[in-house]
Amino acid sequence: MGMIENFKLLEKYGFTLLPYELAKNADEAVAIAKKLKYPIVLKIVSPEITHKTDVGGVKVNIKNEETLRLAYKDVLEGARGKKIDGVLVQKMARKGVELIIGGKKDEQFGYMVMLGLGGIYVEVFRDITARICPISEADVDEMVGELKSHPILTGARGKKPISIPALKTLLFKVCMFQSEEDIKELDLNPVVFNDEGCDIIDVRFSI
Amino acid sequence: MMKKTDQKIKNLDSIFKPKSIAVFGASNIPNKLGNVLMKNLTGNKFPGKIYPINPKYRTVAGLKCYSSVLEINEKVDCAIIATPAQTVIRILKECAQKKIPGAIVLSGGFGESGGADLERELKRTADENDIVVIGPNCLGIINPYSRVDSIFLPMYKLERPKVGAISFITQSGAVGTCVIDMVAKYGIGISKFISYGNATVINESDLLEYLLHDKETEQIVFYIEGTKDGKRLLENMKRVNMEKPIIVLKAGKYGGALKAAKSHTGNLAGNYLAYKAAFRQAKVIEAESLEELFDFVKIFNQTLPNGKRMMIITNGGGLGVLTADAIEENGLELAEITKESSVKLKEIIPEYTSVGNPLDMTADASVDDYKKSIEIVLNDPNVDGIFIDVLFQTPNMNEGIIDILNSASEDRRKPIVVTAVGGTFTEGYRKILESSGVPTYGAPLAAVKAMKKMVDYSLKSKCKKCIVRKNKKNG
Repeated sequence: MGMIENFKLLEKYGFTLLPYELAKNADEAVAIAKKLKYPIVLKIVSPEITHKTDVGGVKVNIKNEETLRLAYKDVLEGARGKKIDGVLVQKMARKGVELIIGGKKDEQFGYMVMLGLGGIYVEVFRDITARICPISEADVDEMVGELKSHPILTGARGKKPISIPALKTLLFKVCMFQSEEDIKELDLNPVVFNDEGCDIIDVRFSI
Repeated sequence: MMKKTDQKIKNLDSIFKPKSIAVFGASNIPNKLGNVLMKNLTGNKFPGKIYPINPKYRTVAGLKCYSSVLEINEKVDCAIIATPAQTVIRILKECAQKKIPGAIVLSGGFGESGGADLERELKRTADENDIVVIGPNCLGIINPYSRVDSIFLPMYKLERPKVGAISFITQSGAVGTCVIDMVAKYGIGISKFISYGNATVINESDLLEYLLHDKETEQIVFYIEGTKDGKRLLENMKRVNMEKPIIVLKAGKYGGALKAAKSHTGNLAGNYLAYKAAFRQAKVIEAESLEELFDFVKIFNQTLPNGKRMMIITNGGGLGVLTADAIEENGLELAEITKESSVKLKEIIPEYTSVGNPLDMTADASVDDYKKSIEIVLNDPNVDGIFIDVLFQTPNMNEGIIDILNSASEDRRKPIVVTAVGGTFTEGYRKILESSGVPTYGAPLAAVKAMKKMVDYSLKSKCKKCIVRKNKKNG
């Protein structure tokens, strides 16, 4: 499934994605950006490209029309020779703590949901925790507490804690989405959390 | 009508509390499985009828031997089958004819070693005839209450535990063997021991359910490698753990599941993450090793603590400090005792010292000082649990301390743990304390970790029946 179809399916389950539209050319991209308001992100949409960043297919933090037009050219350049559906113009995510949220269908226990901190925390320290679906609010509270890096979520060094209600809502949705659509594996990576809510940046799943 | 699972659970009584047992493969040849089995059953003074079955003999272990179970005129409750795998299905069919409701299949040679078809046939035969089967490929059970013992290991090599309140469920026979041996050595009493092998008919969830209703079981220890029905296991662990604490040890944590996963988080997950998640959701107590398993088992005969505030009483200053460090490192707290307790304690300790936590009574402390200080702290509302760190090496310590620690352990106002670090002499004391049920540890950290597990269990599990039990023992 393509990125747009994935987005649509997620929206059907109430996941709130950052506002986006597909542009077929640079002028369309400029018009969309105006509507969404800068800063924005460009992402190449191609059925032949899985790792968008590897081909320079993602440009972030674009703040004006001039940079947008240049970035648009660059993105197309990187995808030269590939089948292209268009370029996704999406609102830039807010700043905050990057979390990885995953889902998996376990052979014995069924659907499960996983939570970890993005970047080195998950990859180097394997700081990750999980629960079997369905989960309760108390489960999410415990998951947060179980992460070794939990002070980063609950407000380390004078930073505001992330929105736990937003995390709960998101994890509940992951469980529901998985069981309704029989998802084998799901990655929301990363999801940026701050004290107000969260922005899902990238999504991948397999049915 | 009774549900199929309920009937199954009920039928397990025929295995755990049989009035008569037929032993298939009973033998007169020394050291043969069927020989050791007969010796153990008769040696263990099983009060019911034992029917050895083997067409080769007229008598086994002094009992009349039958060539077929169908020759027996009386009712038979339980079949213990110790014959080659290929004969098991035929024997089960005979058991069905004889209307035997329960069987333990010790024999190997099924799914675990290329006999998957045979195992499916075993399941079909058992299910069609409503026979509950433990095994195959297992050690079976010990029930010291009914004196059933299907463990085919000689008594002189493998000590049998005394009667008690802890039940053990183990998937592996080898680990089961070690566990029984250690349990016997520690002087821990057991209610049921069950090695369930391939879990073909009766699986771990059925056994948890059975033990939930078993009046002789107050605590469950569970060794698992893998389950085929995680959903039911999670549900049953949740339900049972609310009434009887479950201590679980999972082996095979880093198996092949890693290979299968594709996505990023999936790669990191592995299958253990799912088990760990399930354990946490069920709020069961997970041990990371066999050593920890026993450390945790020992403490759960204590009253559940109401909170994290711990008091340390010692005659060895440094020992107390090590315990205090471990308490803070492991998420427990040092209690702040009341003024009243403080005044009373001041009278016990030498004048040149002050009352604190740890309460350092110094190496001059007598057995009687321990008695008094323990009583004061047991009464203190600001204390949830007590660490008693005894330096047995001082001149003033003598065997009088045993009685004092025993009564503190049985007092039930608060949980206590004893830490005794030292060599052969101290070890001697430790063993005496352990075998009389006082949770005793050879190092401060082990004691603290065990207490932490009990605090977590107490605060998280909302074990209602546990509190009922606590009150009963109070009264």
